[in-house]
Amino acid sequence: MIKGAIAIFKRDFKKFLGNPFVIIFTLLMPIMYLVIFGNAMGGTISHVSIAIVQEEPYDDSALPFTAFIDNLKHQAAVDYPPTFDIAIYTDELKAKRALQNGVVSGVLVLPSPNFRDRAMRLYVDSSDSVTPSIIISGVNTALVQSGTHTRVEINKIYGDIKYIQFFGVGVIVMAIFMTTMMGGGIALIKDREMGIIEGYFVTPVKRSSIIMGTIASGTVRAFLSGFVIFVVDLLITGILIQSTQDFFMVLLVLFITSIGITSFMVSMASRFSNQQEYASMSAFFNLILFMTSGAFYPVIGMPDWLRWITIINPEYYAVHALRSIILRGQGIEVIGMDLIALCIFSFAAIMLGIATYRRTLE
Amino acid sequence: MSDAQEKILHSYIPHTLSITRSHVFFNTPMSFSDPRPEEETEALRHPDSSRYFSSDQSVIRIEHLTKTFRDKQRTVKAVDDITFEVKRGEIFGLLGPNGAGKSTLIRILTTLLSPSSGTAFVGEYEITRDPEKIRGIIGVCPQNSTLDNELTAYDNLEFYGKLEDVDDRILPDRIWELLAMVGLTDRAHMMVQTFSGGMKRKLEIVRAFIHRPLILFLDEPTIGLDPESRREVWQQIETLNAENTTIILTTHYMDEAEKLCGRIAFVDRGRLISLDTMDNLRLLLPAGDLIEIGFDHMDERVLPAIREQHLVISAEVKDQKLLITAKNRNTILPAIFAVFERYSVTMNAISIRSPSLEDVFIYLTGKNLSDSGGSEGTQGGRGRS
Repeated sequence: MIKGAIAIFKRDFKKFLGNPFVIIFTLLMPIMYLVIFGNAMGGTISHVSIAIVQEEPYDDSALPFTAFIDNLKHQAAVDYPPTFDIAIYTDELKAKRALQNGVVSGVLVLPSPNFRDRAMRLYVDSSDSVTPSIIISGVNTALVQSGTHTRVEINKIYGDIKYIQFFGVGVIVMAIFMTTMMGGGIALIKDREMGIIEGYFVTPVKRSSIIMGTIASGTVRAFLSGFVIFVVDLLITGILIQSTQDFFMVLLVLFITSIGITSFMVSMASRFSNQQEYASMSAFFNLILFMTSGAFYPVIGMPDWLRWITIINPEYYAVHALRSIILRGQGIEVIGMDLIALCIFSFAAIMLGIATYRRTLE
Repeated sequence: MSDAQEKILHSYIPHTLSITRSHVFFNTPMSFSDPRPEEETEALRHPDSSRYFSSDQSVIRIEHLTKTFRDKQRTVKAVDDITFEVKRGEIFGLLGPNGAGKSTLIRILTTLLSPSSGTAFVGEYEITRDPEKIRGIIGVCPQNSTLDNELTAYDNLEFYGKLEDVDDRILPDRIWELLAMVGLTDRAHMMVQTFSGGMKRKLEIVRAFIHRPLILFLDEPTIGLDPESRREVWQQIETLNAENTTIILTTHYMDEAEKLCGRIAFVDRGRLISLDTMDNLRLLLPAGDLIEIGFDHMDERVLPAIREQHLVISAEVKDQKLLITAKNRNTILPAIFAVFERYSVTMNAISIRSPSLEDVFIYLTGKNLSDSGGSEGTQGGRGRS
């Protein structure tokens, strides 16, 4: 019995050592967890932008509450840059539009000097799970420390949004990624591993046809699973989709996201001939892309170097677009940029896949 | 030689009347006296291009093709400066032991691998310049199964038919025609993974000509098949050839090559050893039948007495065996028996055969065709790196 067990052990261990790629990626995984998860989730948030605007009727004289604003400007955690970036707006409507478009995270409307007894109005983006509480506590601290006595009215512009609702949107994107991991490129690798590929390499089928066909089938599967999770997410988190237009918009985003992520995985798969290597590589990308997508935690909390990743991360655009539609009820004017980014990404991934696919056995 | 291989050899080598069968005999290089002058056989051993480039009817032309595989430890020349032509409409046999480079050569011709040097034309197209055009005119049945086990027989053929760009209007009829050809009509919608080895093989072969290719490459088409299936596959190949399809067939079964092939190329260690028709190859060997008699104790008077017989071409003793080549075995046998009896020598084994391709191969390479490695053990290049 021992002899057999040792033989099995030796065989498995030889195979393990014979595959350095898998070893590296298995070790890289927890390290990336540490770095990305640790940074993305626990990062000290700074540079939260707040628009400050004075209520109408507008008074040309300098803004009141100077001490208060100064205090707000200089709040910071130890060794960190200022927590808030203050932008002075002169038009309340413009400031609110900036909040809706995500340019600023909060709008603070100061009462007009003529009506000193009015309350200060604070508008926060409640579709963001983190910044509202930071802004609220920052404003309160500033009031106390500057000795300003005034009431503050807090308005959550998208109503109360629970974390599960915030996170649920990210899970839809995760569903798409998971499906592409299991399906998507693995068909290509399986064919290569089993030698089936030799059977159709001798036919006139073009390299681009092979890649496009694989992407198409992967996209449909990813889209279906994304759709299922979208419905499940609505049921579990109790979000209501406002209109049929929003519903179809969600489907559009899901579809383009599916194309983008599937093409990316397929183009990665086009270079692999081993399922294990592919699996560890795709798990690695899954982690990076999902962590930096802002699904768990707003991107604003990430260190700068991680934020750079979000710029080329299709999941970031997908999460942003879905959140805009599902949580904020926003339309094409907000998610247009996301869709364009996703399309550019998909196109690049497809081209990469076609260019790198080996149409010979070597 | 594995049990399975041995079984196959036992059952398929024709022209063999084997009373006992000895491995020693098969593995011993033959030492018959060669009736032909040395220069002539030398020419056959080292063929040059002019010898084979004769007709303009060639459908495949291979010129100084070389393929080298490299990895960290060593470099293997899987195909080493091979030059020959295949004529339109023939069944061309590519013979050689395992690892001789047959599959690599086929993979180069079917555009799966690119050559290290040299060139080849398939149809009118050059393999590295117009691989796509070549893929359109060839049909390939690779050595390892490339059927999709998770699809049905029908789906497999349909998938392939679409990749081969068969007209959608005729594709269904063509698929049923092919399924009927291999007797799989009633299993059309069953998963291929439930099929026996023979059924899979036959399905794969018909799949290769779903688009009626100009040239059909069959890499070891009957490997691992039972005798009945082998005969069916052979019949199919002949039927196809009758429809004017050129067929290139690799095999390491002698009987298969003898039965099907018009011309045969012997390949060993990546080199072309000989190329000719079966009949001409047989001429390489000493004429007549081979008679092999085993004995325990030999009387020295036996050998001269046998050499005296006028039908005997040569006779010699080797490893407790008397090896005789003779012109007419039916009349010579009683005479040989009489000699043995006269000197009271007991025979313990006897076998009589016509020279087969295997003998030609042993003669040319000095080793058995079923030997996979060769003494240096550097045969490699089963093509995928």
